[in-house]
Amino acid sequence: MTDQNKRIKDYFCKHTTRCTIEGVKKSKRFVGHDVLKADAWDKVTGEAVYPDDIFFDDLLYVKIKRAVHPHAILKDIDISQAKKVEGVVDIVIAEDIPDVRQFGLIIRDQPVLIAPGEKMRYMGDPLAIVVAETKEAAKKARDLIKVKVEELEVITDPFRAMEDDAPDIHPDGNIVITHHLNRGDVDEAFKNSAIVEENRYQTQFIDQLPMQNEAGVALYDERRGVINIWAATQWLHDTQADVAQSLRLSKDQIRIIQPTIGGAFGKKEDVSVHIHLAIAAMRTGRPVKLCFTREESMITQSKRHPITIINKTGVDRDGYLTAWETKFIGDTGAYASSGPAVVHKGMYHATGPYNCPNLRGVSHAVYTNNTYAGAMRGFGTAQGAFAYEQQMDILAEKLSIDPAEFRLKNIYQKDSITPNGQQLTHSVNAEETIKRVMELSDWKGGRK
Amino acid sequence: MQITFTVNGEERELEVTPYTRLLDLLREDLGLTGVKEGCGKGECGACTVIMNGELTASCLVPAPQADQAEILTVEGLGTRDDLHPIQESFVEAGAVQCGYCIPGMILAGKRLLDENPQPTEKEVRYGLSGNICRCTGYAKIIDAVMMAADKLAVEGSDSND
Amino acid sequence: MIRKSPMKQENRQTISGADFEEYFQPQNLEKALEIKAEYSDQIEVAAGTTDLLVANYEQLHQIKNWLDLDKIDELRKIEILENELHIGAMVTHLQLMKSDLIKEKLAVLAAAAEDVGSPQIRSRGTIGGNICTSSPAGDLLAPLLSYEASFKLQKAGAERIVRAEDFFTGPKRNLMEADELLTEIIIPLTENEREGAWVKVGRRKALVISTLTLSVVLEFEADKIIEAGIALGSVAPTPIRLWEVGELMLGSSLTELDYKQLGQEVKARINPIDDLRGTREYREDVAADVMVRALNEIERKRG
Repeated sequence: MTDQNKRIKDYFCKHTTRCTIEGVKKSKRFVGHDVLKADAWDKVTGEAVYPDDIFFDDLLYVKIKRAVHPHAILKDIDISQAKKVEGVVDIVIAEDIPDVRQFGLIIRDQPVLIAPGEKMRYMGDPLAIVVAETKEAAKKARDLIKVKVEELEVITDPFRAMEDDAPDIHPDGNIVITHHLNRGDVDEAFKNSAIVEENRYQTQFIDQLPMQNEAGVALYDERRGVINIWAATQWLHDTQADVAQSLRLSKDQIRIIQPTIGGAFGKKEDVSVHIHLAIAAMRTGRPVKLCFTREESMITQSKRHPITIINKTGVDRDGYLTAWETKFIGDTGAYASSGPAVVHKGMYHATGPYNCPNLRGVSHAVYTNNTYAGAMRGFGTAQGAFAYEQQMDILAEKLSIDPAEFRLKNIYQKDSITPNGQQLTHSVNAEETIKRVMELSDWKGGRK
Repeated sequence: MQITFTVNGEERELEVTPYTRLLDLLREDLGLTGVKEGCGKGECGACTVIMNGELTASCLVPAPQADQAEILTVEGLGTRDDLHPIQESFVEAGAVQCGYCIPGMILAGKRLLDENPQPTEKEVRYGLSGNICRCTGYAKIIDAVMMAADKLAVEGSDSND
Repeated sequence: MIRKSPMKQENRQTISGADFEEYFQPQNLEKALEIKAEYSDQIEVAAGTTDLLVANYEQLHQIKNWLDLDKIDELRKIEILENELHIGAMVTHLQLMKSDLIKEKLAVLAAAAEDVGSPQIRSRGTIGGNICTSSPAGDLLAPLLSYEASFKLQKAGAERIVRAEDFFTGPKRNLMEADELLTEIIIPLTENEREGAWVKVGRRKALVISTLTLSVVLEFEADKIIEAGIALGSVAPTPIRLWEVGELMLGSSLTELDYKQLGQEVKARINPIDDLRGTREYREDVAADVMVRALNEIERKRG
């Protein structure tokens, strides 16, 4: 192997902890050994460069004027006072960018800027991009932008959103997507069950809260027609494609450069600073920087979905699950984001790691005027886990059997079939896991 | 207004405004970007520096109050090639994930070990209680501080020999 | 299609980016009082700035005038004068929890200081700041009521002493005038045995605004209780001292007291609200519980 090849191999090994160059071969260097994190040295010395650590000499600062009401029609936006602030270089409103298209992870339903006559749908919706020589000037100008709105009914509850007389948050109605799940004969199985238990569970919004807020820097290379954007994303190429289509540019005109990321946990799947930065960079011809505050990040970017779960579970005398009916209503907030995928994925995991032959389920991802919900660690399954484990505990108590034994009876084995029909062909360690937990916790059947 | 202070052993004289936070001063004027902003409200500890010997949230210090102060940031602790034992321990214990909380964690660990060279796990937890890690790698971060205590103890006994 | 900004290069400069005018950093109290007299409520007083910079996050550039007390050493003293402990307003929580004098004479105050925020907050936040912010959840406030502290309020050419209990008038409100500064906290000492307990209830152990605080300071002559300072935070619009509950305990020894009953007495005399940190019902029940816990702790400490 040449020196260069060795260096490349070394690089891949360090960064992926997989050795791909030599094909599939058991690694002597990593498997069974402690591997130190390749970028740990940068991070313990403070040398690692995160998006807000990037500076240029003639950097401009960007601030976003956001919605003033969670559901309202923008009647008028007045930037005349804001423009007078010393140090303001540019204020962009919707009329300045008439051709820019909406963006979004799955459904392109998010506007880049709200124009008069259009609706703001949550408190994070952007109304204007302020670019200034200093952060203070940008903040001051942002706060001087005057907005007139016509207020609409604010919908914060997905059940209200689904009612016939609820105003439509988006033109196609408030239910983003509905999924169904059907297997076996649920009604018959419930009839033959010894116990049927029905309960309603509610989970809440959770912010992924990565330590670093959304932040980025952009620089427009006018000669090549390329916009360079240094900002965190979890889907580099999807973000590139979405930014490009939104700005009606080709993908090779958008370079997304990923600096070190200060945590993401799903929150950085969505486009955040990218498009606004690109617009500011193109309009001013100077490097621009946009860093969200923590509050802005909380108000603006995605959350874990609050899901209402209604579970009806049947069990026979011997303690085997017979039937499971479930309903998942996910509040995806003002925009779809990952909602269409998260909510029904949660439903497919409605029974957790437990075998159940007869299943029926329905899931709705629903628009409201809350901050939009998207991806977060587990992608819908964490919400379901809360509900199905409660069901299992309640059923065990009603059957008067040890909740751990009850779980062991129903636990997935090799060749079990999941609610969406996937057969688990290998590496099913759920039983082993429960047994080990019982052993380690000195389990005594739930009694003290 | 003009302030004079010592950062990582070097005396600096700078022109500041009161609406500049010590955090901005260190990051933007001095390029010490190892000091991070996580919340801007003293809740997360990412912006921690050691100011006049004590842990300080640099996001809650107006620049003029840093006048005459002595400040240590993670950059003043050790370099890549010559890591401080605490930095070394964070690498070896696998305590570093996204890394954003790490400069603050390391300084909180250092401040603790300066005062209490052989802390118990409970004392480490109390010493790091102003620093949040959202990768939730606390167990290994605590391991790293305990490991550093051992390393420093060995180093100390070596130099006595 | 994204056209260059028409505003570029022509910058109409009539409003400034920052409203800042003056930053005063006086070296002595006299000078500070003069400045405060001149600017009255048109100036922000900066002590440890752990509240000021949070309240003005993203708006610091809008503060016109600053009065920074940081360099006034006379406000950082802890000393005994004629059987009273005098604590300067700029003494930090860290100083309080480390001071041998405070630990010995005012153990409950030291314990409360140790529970404030985090190491990063304690090293900067001051007792004066905690008092002047006047949050019903301020951790030092209940102990100050238990110890019957008074506050020295000074203005140019005049001063007055106000009892801690009279000082707080509502959530984040107090009776300080715009030209006054809080300069000193004065706490009477006693030759008698004093034993106390501090309980802070919150959702986390660090960096948490209290859901409820309880401070109990008992003074004993032989085994009889001759003074009982029971005070709570976060259970009413201001921190409160429960004199009536204290009186129920006077003249008794600990063994003669019914702790559970006293817990109920506390519960009956507080007026908490539902908020993010806890419900009214939760606070009432917890108040009763922690009263019992505090009395048990005092009993244990006395051996």
